[in-house]
Order: sequence, then structure tokens, then C-alpha cells
Amino acid sequence: MSTHDVPETFSIPVGPLHVALEEPMYFKIDVKGETVSHIDINAGHAHRGIEYLTTKRTMYQNVVLTERICSLCSNSHPQTFAMAAEKIAGIEVPERGIYLRTVADEMKRVTSHLFNVALLVHLVGYETYFMHMMQVREIGQDMLESIFGNRQDIGAMCIGGVRYDLDDKSIAYIKGALDKIEAETKDIIKTFKTNGSILRRTKGVGVLTHADAITCGVVGPVARASGIDYDVRREAPYAAYDRLPLVVHSLTDGDVWSRAMVRLEEILTSIDLLRVCLRDLPGGPVNINDRPDIPPGQAVTRSEAPRGEVIYYLRTNDTPQPERVKWRVPTFMNWDSLRFMLQDAKVADVAMIVNSIDPCLSCTER
Amino acid sequence: MNFLTIFARNLKQGPQTEAFPLGPAFTPDRLRGRIEFKAESCEGCRICERVCPANAIRFAKTPDGMTFDCWHNTCVFCGNCEFYCPTDAIHQTNDWDLSHVNADKFDMVEHGLIPNQTCVDCGATALNTAPMVKNAKPPLSAEEYTELRARCPKCRAKYLKNRKVPA
Ligand code: SF4
Ligand code: SF4
Repeated sequence: MSTHDVPETFSIPVGPLHVALEEPMYFKIDVKGETVSHIDINAGHAHRGIEYLTTKRTMYQNVVLTERICSLCSNSHPQTFAMAAEKIAGIEVPERGIYLRTVADEMKRVTSHLFNVALLVHLVGYETYFMHMMQVREIGQDMLESIFGNRQDIGAMCIGGVRYDLDDKSIAYIKGALDKIEAETKDIIKTFKTNGSILRRTKGVGVLTHADAITCGVVGPVARASGIDYDVRREAPYAAYDRLPLVVHSLTDGDVWSRAMVRLEEILTSIDLLRVCLRDLPGGPVNINDRPDIPPGQAVTRSEAPRGEVIYYLRTNDTPQPERVKWRVPTFMNWDSLRFMLQDAKVADVAMIVNSIDPCLSCTER
Repeated sequence: MNFLTIFARNLKQGPQTEAFPLGPAFTPDRLRGRIEFKAESCEGCRICERVCPANAIRFAKTPDGMTFDCWHNTCVFCGNCEFYCPTDAIHQTNDWDLSHVNADKFDMVEHGLIPNQTCVDCGATALNTAPMVKNAKPPLSAEEYTELRARCPKCRAKYLKNRKVPA
């Protein structure tokens, strides 16, 4: 074939099962040379029917079911669900329970962010450092397993409080683990600021401008990396966040590097929050020690999951099962922004850019 | 920490992976694993059956009493049963090794029986469950507890009502 017969653009499929893509999402990418000229996003490959299932389970069973919507935000879902149930029933969570909820939430955030940034390093092609970061995350995973009894589905939440308690020994253990993670994270941040390979692959790549970010309504670290200074923990405090010195990190470049950097800085903030929680941990019961019926009603609650704002709508009737549970997860808001990020990107960067929104299809398509 | 330092540290520490199955695996005390049922502490309230999200727990009336079955292959190890159980009758051990050959899949069950007994007062047949006396004031003595336990639900209520409570 002579060169003038070669068409100007090619279409290449990426996903729904793709070696470099972590999630079942289908992208039809038109490329001109190595540059993306147009993308189509097609979702719906992983429907699990959980929303329907929640109406077949009782409120107390649903705390466990909602935990299994997403493995990395597995604390935010039951927490927000429990908050909705508590709002309807007028249940007040005891002070110690409030703090322990925050502890569970922030521990999960640390490991979730470390996981995402480690994957980024893997997609950059820096395997050794990926292994190192996963090993750092392992300190956090061991901590979850030792405190809650499971690495992912930590089972910390219940309607009316939390299911676990901390004693002096476990508090000392957590503090020790946090010290280790903090030192390592500081090193990782230094590496991200200086390592040539990481900088070259991630700086100025997959840019989402502030204006586009507002258009798409993105949430979480994706929004904060594009200069939207918004965090549910500060805007609508729940658990103990109104009493904690929360720092919200935002950057302005909106590229892959900034999103990773926001997450890394948030790990350090989470560690600070955890230390304050452990220091100020009030005494008393950790939950209401009861299993009250939830009266008919409806409520909307929201919280800041590691990936961004998660919103729950709960409607109950006079049966033990809810009439309707609906949640809006962060990835649903964030994936549209991929159209902007991928426009004019290099094909080789597609998987990395997709990873940078920290996509979670198991909760988006539940 | 620069790479040489990490390298030196990792060399000294050796592999981070666990030696399992050749060596022990990291297993914290609080790990939520296999379910253990103690029939003698069970009150027969069946709350665990109701809160179990996976429907892994089944109670059934049999001529000998009430049987308890927890299917490990259905259980999701959430710990709801243990959390809501008013006694310590159901408990998650930290045993996580549930691997088994396919032929054994229907044996992966924790089984228990709350036997029938004959009420010492009225002679009726009733379950020998642990009495629900968590809120009894003053707390029952060991002797009272044994006496109470030997009765059927109706006679237990009578027993508690007639109990002399010091003012
Ligand atoms: S195991 Fe516990 S929750 Fe289940 S029936 Fe017995 S006492 Fe009740
Ligand atoms: S741990 Fe959860 S799934 Fe397993 S038996 Fe108990 S309540 Fe059911």
C-alpha cells in the first residue's frame, strides 16, 4: 500500500477487558497518528443489581450489603447508608462512635489513595517503585486486618455507631503504623516531585481545566486537582470532622500529576486527623447497643469517600426492608471528564489518564 | 529515602511475601474467619439468623431439639451474627483456612443442637436454651441459673416473677 492510501484516522478499542485498564469500561478511540482525536465511552458491562437487592434485605442486612458495593470505598457506603437510617429514625450516635467512624474512614482513605497512586506508577512503567508503594500500602492493609479483622470489608459501621472498639494496645499499634506510613509517604511525595520518569509521563498530561471541571461537575481529588476547593468533610461535616483540623488540598494544573499529588497530600492529612482522633477519643459506648426499627421516611446523606462525594437516598416504609436505596457515586460524576482529559492525548497515556480519575465501576454500575 | 537505601533495607529484610503454605501466614487475633457456635450459651432468639445478610444461618426444629447450621460457603464473614448475638454463642474465630476439595463442599457447615428437655415444674418438652437474664436484677446466682435453665419458658417466667428480690 502506498502512503496516500492510509486513512487519516484509525479507530481502536480500549476495553472493556484491557490489559492496562483496571476497570471494565469500553472506549472507542479515534486516533490520528498517535494522538486521540475523538473518544466514545460506553459503560454498562458490570451491572450487579445491588440497588434492587437492597430492597430485598432488611436495613441491618443492608449495612453489610452496601459495604460490598465497592472494595476501596467499603467504609463510606455503609457509613452513608447508616447516616441516612439514623436521620430517619432520629438516632444519635454516641460521641466515641462518632470518633471511631472517622478513624475507620480515614484509615480506608490512606490505603485507597496509596493504591491508586501505586497503580499510576505501575502504568508509568516504573515497576520497582510500584512494588515499593504497594509494600507501603501493605502496612495499612495489615493495620486494617489487625484492627477490623478484614483487609477490605472492614465491617466497622452499624446503624447507631460502630462495631469495633480500640484499647490502649491497638491505639499504640495504629500510631506505630501511621508513623511508618507517614515517613514513607513523605518520601513518595519527594520522588513524585523529582523523579524524571514520573514527571515526564504525568506532568501536563490529561489536563482538566478548571472551567471543564465545573462543566462536568467532578468531585473528590479530581475536582481538587483542577482548583475546585471542595470537600464534603468541610462543606457538610459528618462524623467528627467539624472538630478536626481538616486541611483541604487543591492544585490548579488539573493534570495526572496534580491528581496524584492531591491524593498523596491527603494521605498525610488523614494521618494527622487519625492522630488527633486517637488523642481526643472520648470514653463511653461506641454504639447505641440496640436494633431499633427504622420508621417510614426518607433521607439524603452524603460523605466524602476516597474518590469523592457519595450521596445516598434512602426511603423506608413500615416493613424491615427499605423501599428504595439509591446512591450517586463519585466515579459517575468523574468519568465524563475523561472526554476532556483524553482529547488530544497520546494513545500510550490513555490507561494512565483513565486511572487518574480513580475509576470504580463496581460501584458506578453496581 | 533514596533507592540505594531502600535496596539495602530490602536486602536485609528479605522477601516481604509470606512463606505460606511452607510457613505460617500473618493472622491477627481479630481476624474475622470461620464461625463457631456454642449451643450451650445460645438463647434461641434467632437474631443471628435474621441479621445474616447472606442467609447462611438456618435454625430448624427437629424431634431432638433445634438445630443450628451455618454454611461456611455461603457466609461472607461480615460478623453481623456475632455483633447482634446477645450472648457469646456465635463467634468468629480467626481461622481463615477454609480451602477444601470439592467433594467436601456440603460438609463446610458449623452444626449445633439445642436439645430438648423436660421442664422440672410442668413436665412439658421445651428447648434447653440459655435463659435470657442479662437484665435480671440482682444478677442470678449460679444455682438460680441452673434451676431456671431446667424449666420451660412459661415456668421460667413464673420462676423469675416469684424470685425473692431483696429490697
Ligand atoms: S446464636 Fe446468639 S443470636 Fe443466634 S439464636 Fe443463639 S443467642 Fe440468639
Ligand atoms: S458472619 Fe455474616 S454472613 Fe456469616 S453467618 Fe454471620 S452474619 Fe451470616
